[in-house]
Amino acid sequence: MKHRRLSSMMVIACAGLLGAAAGVAATPGTSMPTPAPTPKEAATSPAAPAVSDAPVPSPLIYPAQTIPLRFDHVLHARLGARCEACHAEAASSRVAADNLIPGEAACRTCHAIDRAHPSAVPPPAAPGKATGRCDACHGAEGIGWMPGPDAAAEPPRVTLPHPNLKFNHQLHAARGIACESCHANIVKVGFATRADLPMMGSCLGCHDGKQAVSRCGACHLTEPDGRLKVALSSPATVATGLPAGSGKLTPSGSLRGFDAHGPTFRRDHAQAGRDEAYCLSCHRRSDCIDCHGGVVRPPDIHPSDYVSLHGNDARRNTPDCGSCHRNQTFCVGCHQRTGVASDPEGGLPGRQPQNPFGTGTGLKHLHPPGWARDEGGAVITTPSPASHSFQAKRNIRACASCHREESCLSCHSADPTRGLGVSPHGPHFGQTARCKLMAKRNIRACLKCHSLGSAEIECEGGM
Amino acid sequence: MISVHVRRVGLGAARAFGVPLSATLAFALLTAAPKPARAYDFNIDLQTIGQGYQVRRFGATGADELLTRRRLTQYLNVNVFNLEPDAWRGDTAGARNVLYFDASLRFDTDFGGFMLGRPTGSDEIRELRQSQIDVLYAFVGGRNMGGRVDFQLGRQMHFDLVDFYAFDGADVLARLGHTLAAEAFAGTEVRGDLPLSAPLYELDGTSSGSRDPATRPDQAEQLRPLAGAAIVVGEGGSLPVTARLAYRRMWSATADRLPGEPGSGVNDEKAALTATADFGHRVFATAGVRYNLLLGELDDEQLSLRVKLTTRQWLTAEHVFLAPSFDGDSIWNVFSTGAYRDFRASYEVGLGGEMKLYARGFFRLFERTADEVVPGRTTAHGGSAGAAWRRPGGVLRADGYYDDGFGGRKGGVDLSGRWAVRPRKLELEGRLTGYRWRSDQQPATDVGFVLGTQAGGRWEVGNGVRLHLLAEDNVGTFYRSQWRGLAIVEISASL
Repeated sequence: MKHRRLSSMMVIACAGLLGAAAGVAATPGTSMPTPAPTPKEAATSPAAPAVSDAPVPSPLIYPAQTIPLRFDHVLHARLGARCEACHAEAASSRVAADNLIPGEAACRTCHAIDRAHPSAVPPPAAPGKATGRCDACHGAEGIGWMPGPDAAAEPPRVTLPHPNLKFNHQLHAARGIACESCHANIVKVGFATRADLPMMGSCLGCHDGKQAVSRCGACHLTEPDGRLKVALSSPATVATGLPAGSGKLTPSGSLRGFDAHGPTFRRDHAQAGRDEAYCLSCHRRSDCIDCHGGVVRPPDIHPSDYVSLHGNDARRNTPDCGSCHRNQTFCVGCHQRTGVASDPEGGLPGRQPQNPFGTGTGLKHLHPPGWARDEGGAVITTPSPASHSFQAKRNIRACASCHREESCLSCHSADPTRGLGVSPHGPHFGQTARCKLMAKRNIRACLKCHSLGSAEIECEGGM
Repeated sequence: MISVHVRRVGLGAARAFGVPLSATLAFALLTAAPKPARAYDFNIDLQTIGQGYQVRRFGATGADELLTRRRLTQYLNVNVFNLEPDAWRGDTAGARNVLYFDASLRFDTDFGGFMLGRPTGSDEIRELRQSQIDVLYAFVGGRNMGGRVDFQLGRQMHFDLVDFYAFDGADVLARLGHTLAAEAFAGTEVRGDLPLSAPLYELDGTSSGSRDPATRPDQAEQLRPLAGAAIVVGEGGSLPVTARLAYRRMWSATADRLPGEPGSGVNDEKAALTATADFGHRVFATAGVRYNLLLGELDDEQLSLRVKLTTRQWLTAEHVFLAPSFDGDSIWNVFSTGAYRDFRASYEVGLGGEMKLYARGFFRLFERTADEVVPGRTTAHGGSAGAAWRRPGGVLRADGYYDDGFGGRKGGVDLSGRWAVRPRKLELEGRLTGYRWRSDQQPATDVGFVLGTQAGGRWEVGNGVRLHLLAEDNVGTFYRSQWRGLAIVEISASL
């Protein structure tokens, strides 16, 4: 029966994995930051780079576009066209969602467009000269569009999904920031696509906390409570069949290096986590508690049946148990229940533990022979790597997962009425700074073994 | 999550959420001034977690048996924001003079059996509470007040350089210029012995369960005041280099004071210096050292370098030194004299199609103590490698790991996947795990293997109601079947 149940579980788990494989493989597009342009984008965006190490804007910030147009910024700039001549509305735009691509009216200032008789418009007099023909600008995949019986009723449409950003062109223009300060590359690329839009690195050139605010929410979309909006979507891309610009916004590492949310980030986020305020710009404080509260086992940190394995990790303290668990409350909860811990006797001295230190009462031996006493029951006097002192010096936290201080006092107390007087101090401890500082700042720890006023409580006495 | 828009909540309403009186009063004081009626915004997260599982127990006959455990945990997270009057906000909402209230409450109950029966009466284990209600944090906060000051007032937790700590009190950070900030905080440590308090970040070393007079049990009931200060340079990313110098001291009055004994003792006293640096957005460094003034030694050192080799490749190198230290009341500060150094390195590369690969390794060196007669094993080493393939349709991931040395040996593989059957509505997940381990302490008996399977899914049942179910079965050296079930219900509604 158990085997049948296990088989069922195996089948379900495998089905989930295979389903994931099929689902991952079958789903087109991408939602992650800094991908290469998709084939469709590349087809309609002549200047889009091929797969390379060149940084590309995230489709979450600038969702995929369709721009079935022909346009050459280089040529226009060479002819003396100024940015504001065509993008006149940019100077008054206050939100990033504004469509600032020039309309036909802007083109008409130079191009003699004749909508009534488009076929009558002559071709350009010479390469690079203005013409009013439709196919001079409209077209897709290398084929210009002209009205006619065999052509579509309308030219292919431009699809420009809203960027998932805040941006106020008016504010920047009012402060005298020239277009080319942010769009410097435009006059070099000819046909401009989303790949040529400004990226965060260029924004941070001014948004450094001095010249302008460096707060993430100054540019990124925010939730009502001020945190960044990280679940992003772009309905326009879904409607047009373009790769959906939806997914979760995560740091790529370009800003701080250690903040890259890669496959090992959950395990390695300590460095990034030092800047609490930075984390809280996206996360709620309760997100920390989800794992660090120590209630639910994160499967990518602790594998299945971690109970069997955790002893190795606990002794090595890898991962750091203390980052989620307080040993003397969390660990002891399970250890006492399962008979691993030594003394469920209420912490009172002199009472017989049901599973005493190091040996047990017929129960499993959790510590190896020679841990505290030899086979004859005598206290070991020459510690070996198998003895408890060796382990305790390296990671006494593991001891704390079962034992209280009185476990140690039962042998190490200097009180002759209860301990064996086995000194845990290394040679010349009394002359060390540790001895002097501990005695000076908190003598209470010393008084658990020693008497106030006794000779050994004086550090210089050598303990 | 429940998003609620409420017009002026009163004291009673706040207390209805279980907010402590001090925080409620502070909240009321801060919000009482504005007269015009206006809307506050609430986020309320409710999360119910039920778990049932079996753990290996050590039976009276020496045999391995399974003990059933059951746990129920309820979280209630409350975030109230936009408390400030409209006039305070200026023209950039959310940037200046922001007032908010943040709280997390947890009810955790632990059912299940005891190998030797549940101890009661004088045998009761005080560390083990069958059920408890904790206020994990609850504070009123202010952000960029007057363009200069952040503050938190109430129960709060902080993640400092190399430490976690939680206290009831106040924390104020003032920006003294574009590059300089000063922080000060004071309060009392959150300890498990206090009402409605979780010992999550309480110092280890002493136990409230102890009744041994030599350990001075009444000391556990003393409040522990703490105070500290920090200077921060380059706060907010205004410089390529940031540094923080912090100091913290915690102390307590002496319970059952003996004649001639000092009236108080230091429980914790540390100073830490941390720094980060960005060298041309290609090389990033962090460093930190912590000096334990109670023990007179550096007990934590960290140095990390992360290099962006290309836009798709990262290399990280790290050095860590750690010497365990405890509550100043604990004798374990005497026992724990060993320290270790870790040298770690990792490499990550992103391939096309959202495939990422990584490899990492570590070498640990335990320092020998002065009184070590027979040298034991003083090193450990290991590594792991894996690949993750992430697409909108789901994630596939494979990991393998191996380590050996002090603590024991283990090696295993893990294959996991998540498939969005209907994006944001229904996801299925599965995991296959297999590993072998052997303890270096009990190599003959503490050795075995485990094969584990997990299957489950997340289902958006309705608008704002999510259900996460997970079942796990393990087979291994010590049992032919060991079950675990997990159910999480998250309620999201807008009122």
